[in-house]
Amino acid sequence: MDPDDVATAFVKHYYSTFDSNRVGLSNLYQEGSMLTFEGEKHQGSQNIVNKLTGLPFQQCKHNISTVDSQPSGPGGAMLVFVSGNLQLPGEQHPLKFSQMFHLMPTPQGSYYVLNDIFRLNYA
Amino acid sequence: MEEQSEMVGRAFVDHYYNLFDNDRSSIGTLYQPSSMLSFEGQKLQGSEDISAKLNALPFGQCRHAISTIDSQPSSFSGGVIVFVSGSIQLLGEDYPLRFSQMFHLIPTMEGSFFVQNDIFRLNYG
Repeated sequence: MDPDDVATAFVKHYYSTFDSNRVGLSNLYQEGSMLTFEGEKHQGSQNIVNKLTGLPFQQCKHNISTVDSQPSGPGGAMLVFVSGNLQLPGEQHPLKFSQMFHLMPTPQGSYYVLNDIFRLNYA
Repeated sequence: MEEQSEMVGRAFVDHYYNLFDNDRSSIGTLYQPSSMLSFEGQKLQGSEDISAKLNALPFGQCRHAISTIDSQPSSFSGGVIVFVSGSIQLLGEDYPLRFSQMFHLIPTMEGSFFVQNDIFRLNYG
């Protein structure tokens, strides 16, 4: 599979899980995973998913504008850089965001998120 | 290690944009032959091509202003991922352009870092 296709498939999967079953994101992180969310650091699958499920909105919808990906080293790891917007219920205007993921291959032929950095883009 | 990655990230960002704004022709020294740049979706590889691209951008003088820097250790021994948001002011333009950019830094034998991965995107309003 082309790395760009892997990245696109991951991004689709990540945000559709985020928007429909946020607690299911725990499968995508491991103990060593790191999230920096608006400057706040979290480590480990449980802490990361607690942060994401504890965000002050229930429903949301991500719309993706761009996906860039590059291989990261020889072992099949990959960097994915996303820009898009986040529509929250009851809000007129969506929020713009940028996010990057460092994906590591698993022995099962899948990927997990080692690094995750999220920032809203304020105008 | 976490503190270290923050320090590396901040020092690198200072150095990178200072070089970009004041001595862009030297920016290739931060890349190596294996380095990759995705610039607004266009892919380039190697310090020579990357430097040529950055030096051929359709503006002379520019000034980057950094809003946020987030850094994390990557899996590679000593590698650091740096995520930047900010704005770039071009000469003669009224409004700065917002951008986001990420770097994957790899330590060199000499105790410095080079850019293995670089992804740049303008944030349209």
